[in-house]
Amino acid sequence: MMRPVLVRRDRVLPATQALGFVVGIVGALVLGAILLLVSDNNPVEVYERMFDSALGGIDSLSRTLERATPLALTGLAVAVAGSMGLWNIGAEGQMMAGATLATGVAMMTDGLSGPLLIAVMLASGVVGGMVLMLGPALARSYLGVSEIITTLMLVYVSIRVVEWLEVGHWKDAGSLGFPRIEEVPAQAALPGLFGRVNIGALIALGLLVVFSLAVSRTAWGYELRLAGSSPNTARYAGVSLRRKILAALLLSGGIAGLAGAVQLTGTEVRLTPGLSNGFGFSGIIVAALALMRPSGVAVVAFVFGAVQVGGQSIQTLGVSSAISTILQAMILFSALAAVVFFNYRVRWAGAASEHSDV
Amino acid sequence: MAAIETDYAVWLRGIEKRFPGVIACDGAELKVRRGTIHALLGENGAGKTTMANVLAGVYRPDAGEVWVNGKRQTFRSPADAIAAGVGMVYQEFRLVPSLTVAENIVLGAASPLLRVVEIEEKVAELSDTYGLAADPSRPVWQLSMGERQRVEILKALWRNASVLVMDEPTAVLTPAEAAELGLTLRAMAVDGRSVIYISHKLDQVVAFCDEATVLRRGKVTATFDDLIDVDLAELAEKMVGASEVGTIKRLKSIQPGHAVLHLNGISARNDRGLPALSDINITVHANEIVGIVGVSGNGQKELAEVIAGLRKPSEGRMILGDQDVSGASPADRYRMGLAYVPEDRLGVGLAPKMSVVDNAVVRSYRSHRRGIFLAASKCIVFCKGLIERFGVRVGRLSHPIAGLSGGNLQKLLLGRELAEQPIMLVAAQPSRGLDVQGVVAIQGHLADQRNNGVGVLLISEDLDELLALADRLLVMFGGRVVGEYGPDVTPRTILGAAMAGRPPQ
Amino acid sequence: MSEAALVGLFVATVQFATLVYLAALGELFAERAGVLNLGVEGMMAMGAVSGFMVGLETGSPWAAFAAAIVVGALVGGLHALISVVLGADQVVSGLALTIGGVGLAAYVGRNVGGRIPETQFTDMSIAGLADIRWFGEIFFDQPPVVYLAVGLGLVSWFVLARTRLGLALRAVGESAPTTDAVGHSVMGLRVGAVMVGGAFAGGAGSFLSLYMAPGWVEGMVAGRGWIAVALVIFGAWHPGRLAFGALLFGFTLALQPRLQSFDIGLLGVQVNEISPALLGMMPFLLTVVVLVIISWRYRHRPSPAPADLGIAYRREER
Repeated sequence: MMRPVLVRRDRVLPATQALGFVVGIVGALVLGAILLLVSDNNPVEVYERMFDSALGGIDSLSRTLERATPLALTGLAVAVAGSMGLWNIGAEGQMMAGATLATGVAMMTDGLSGPLLIAVMLASGVVGGMVLMLGPALARSYLGVSEIITTLMLVYVSIRVVEWLEVGHWKDAGSLGFPRIEEVPAQAALPGLFGRVNIGALIALGLLVVFSLAVSRTAWGYELRLAGSSPNTARYAGVSLRRKILAALLLSGGIAGLAGAVQLTGTEVRLTPGLSNGFGFSGIIVAALALMRPSGVAVVAFVFGAVQVGGQSIQTLGVSSAISTILQAMILFSALAAVVFFNYRVRWAGAASEHSDV
Repeated sequence: MAAIETDYAVWLRGIEKRFPGVIACDGAELKVRRGTIHALLGENGAGKTTMANVLAGVYRPDAGEVWVNGKRQTFRSPADAIAAGVGMVYQEFRLVPSLTVAENIVLGAASPLLRVVEIEEKVAELSDTYGLAADPSRPVWQLSMGERQRVEILKALWRNASVLVMDEPTAVLTPAEAAELGLTLRAMAVDGRSVIYISHKLDQVVAFCDEATVLRRGKVTATFDDLIDVDLAELAEKMVGASEVGTIKRLKSIQPGHAVLHLNGISARNDRGLPALSDINITVHANEIVGIVGVSGNGQKELAEVIAGLRKPSEGRMILGDQDVSGASPADRYRMGLAYVPEDRLGVGLAPKMSVVDNAVVRSYRSHRRGIFLAASKCIVFCKGLIERFGVRVGRLSHPIAGLSGGNLQKLLLGRELAEQPIMLVAAQPSRGLDVQGVVAIQGHLADQRNNGVGVLLISEDLDELLALADRLLVMFGGRVVGEYGPDVTPRTILGAAMAGRPPQ
Repeated sequence: MSEAALVGLFVATVQFATLVYLAALGELFAERAGVLNLGVEGMMAMGAVSGFMVGLETGSPWAAFAAAIVVGALVGGLHALISVVLGADQVVSGLALTIGGVGLAAYVGRNVGGRIPETQFTDMSIAGLADIRWFGEIFFDQPPVVYLAVGLGLVSWFVLARTRLGLALRAVGESAPTTDAVGHSVMGLRVGAVMVGGAFAGGAGSFLSLYMAPGWVEGMVAGRGWIAVALVIFGAWHPGRLAFGALLFGFTLALQPRLQSFDIGLLGVQVNEISPALLGMMPFLLTVVVLVIISWRYRHRPSPAPADLGIAYRREER
């Protein structure tokens, strides 16, 4: 009797993950096409529209980059924690916290000039994200409490805080009773680069480069990787695990908070409970597909940005934009499956003919 | 032919099993009669555990046949082997800590509805029959190692195993517990069951077992149908091969130098918060190997960790060279001349998933910095230096270190620790699990260090290694040093009594 | 504040408790077997939309409920395939399941959104008990799913504590290698537990669309799946404590829309001045607090959290 057995390859091929990602995209497109066919849509037409609106021309490209910016930042946030083997599932919440603190600071500081106000708001974004991460980071480093659950739980806490502010203390007096928060001052808008792209994209790109170098090339990054890969070896090398966990998680929270502030000053105009818009959760998938590498985060964030922009555009064809979220999830599932098959090979194990004689 | 086969409880015939780069079993055979205790002897890496795992359905042999109670078997999983009546007790117990003793025993072999009271009664009955005291309703995490072993044996008995395989069962036991185990195994044999007793401890084998098979490098070198008149030296010779008997020569004694390590009244707790070390006073001098003797679990691990700075002592001080390092970090201690080879090579000493280079610079990366950056070129040069000096065989330096063999891992680890001329070396089980060449190489490095003026604290479970290398022996029991002996003047019986906590007055 | 309003609050409490309890009980099975499934929200959304649609087609709430259970199990099966069979990271796979499940539900239900429900569960009074003052209305005049949830809770406790299957499930969540060594199929147990978890979540989702808020609206699960994930931890992985937590969380959910109408003072706080948003964050904050307390209390002994939770298992084939 022959049966398949998965055997781990002795050596994992270096390009495996990249190949897996490509297979993931193709697989998702195929699955999406089946879904579209079943619901009487023409997949070619739909995909063509998606491609055009996301990548066909400078204006389309700028929309994709606009979307990719918060994804890259949240993806990086998750990757920074991930390079130490930690999961920041709460980037969504830290975005809200960052945007909230940035809004609050903008309300308190009156008449600052544009650049100064922007700098202050972005900095408060970082601080806001760190503040929300402080509890999970301390609980993880001192008590070993799983950061997966604590960061996740705080997502909903921070969204509720914004809802509370919206109807309470921060309610815009000029909104005629409609519960909403005042717009941030006009001079706080991030300067644009081209189309819909603002300097937020550059900030994201810069941070990706800085962290890529920091993690792979610096002594600090070496300690981070060592602590994540083998905590006992790190203690032995004189690396303080607690401080590394705190640093990785707080930085992660800070970057996600920055994503919130960038989204607030660059794209949105006011703080709403929907500001984070799923970017934090998508960022986790982005980072996972990028194997926690900053360079990969840039590529995956761009692709996901394109899928999201494309998803919005097909509504004019009468196709639900939900296709885009389905595609994102399917890319991940197919890529995960593909990578497993690249890392393992199937061996047909033949058990010798069974007999028992006495 | 059929008549002969049915006489054996176990017949492993012509077993071959290869792992990448290693031939673990090379046509080995094992015949075990019913109602006997059969010793499977051999050095580390001789293929004993591989044979056992073939019998237990963990490995599929590349060639050869497995016969149990006269039936040819093809095991696809451990479950198949259990169904055929083979019970295996591993060195590392397979128990679920949060479940109770009874739950662990019936796991995988219970009726669809658990009648807890009934099960606990039956378990109590079973443990009475074989003298295996265990409270069925206690959670396993509360049990001592000896008690956990009893639960493992009960697990096999619950499944009515006709063959019980025990892998190095006495490593975690006190001599008294080991003697009790001998009685239990005898009771099982009298009951008509067979026991395969895997060990390299010859005195125990001769005391407990009826027959023996000796393995060396995956092949059978001798079988004994009767161990009553067997000479220990003969067994030993079959195990290690004639040419290698006595390869470990006693080191020539030299005059020890000044004290390099001084522990003064050290006490510490273990991971569970229980006292593990109490009032330890040890001095190690330059040009001296101090051997720590003891049954594992008597504080050796905690002692090594306290010295390395990985475990905070609750009391006591430590002097390294001429400085008090009681509050110093592991890295500071290394800088002051303390090298440490931990018991867990992968996971503590080395980070398995990181590259060879990354692992080589664990101690020294701070000196390979260029600004905030880590200079890759400096790291590689350093790594290559180690590899050359200590004869490490590696593939590519950028590949994960977990791909290296045990001997090469240990050479790299030892080399890294010795790279910056330490004054003191703590080595915990440095040769455990290595092949013969690896053992010789590591023991050679330890001797060299000692001859070159380093003080060495050698913690080992291998009494022969300690007797050959150590200048002084300290026996640990229950977290205390209970005796100090000269290796060349002390009979093993006295050491054995001390290891059991009864040092002769 | 009227007596009727108070009784109404508790009636709703029981219903919200049922909603999150069903989903959490399913998640409890998955987690006790060692698989963290953060896809509850997605599985509930799929259950809600498929239950509603089958209800439209068949006119039978039970057929709709059954369909939601099957769909939930299949969606859960996707997580099992990716994270258990293929061994990918459970956190990532579960999140993708939530994102994809909510998206797929929106897509599948794009044409039935806002349709008037023709089928829904109706209240079922239990003769003799439903007439008891207050208690009757709160506990014994509820839709059948409420009673079903109570029954499932008891059955779940019994299965986990008193059957071979339950013992194997608990063991595989604590130590997969050990469970494998005694001959249980790690993969079978885990895939089964995750799919059962999906079935429970699917059923809970349809309770939402067939009774609590009849109809289908995109995003109608609205975070209740995450509350279920929190509830498993709040209840320390125990079906009984889960029920207690479900009532507490259900109370906060039921109270939120009613806060304004409670013109009373309690402990010096005017109830109707409490923000619904602040009340809404309580389950999540409480869960964090409970998690920290558990970690502190169990620092020297095995915690109630399954030890192998989140760790994929593959027997090394040598």
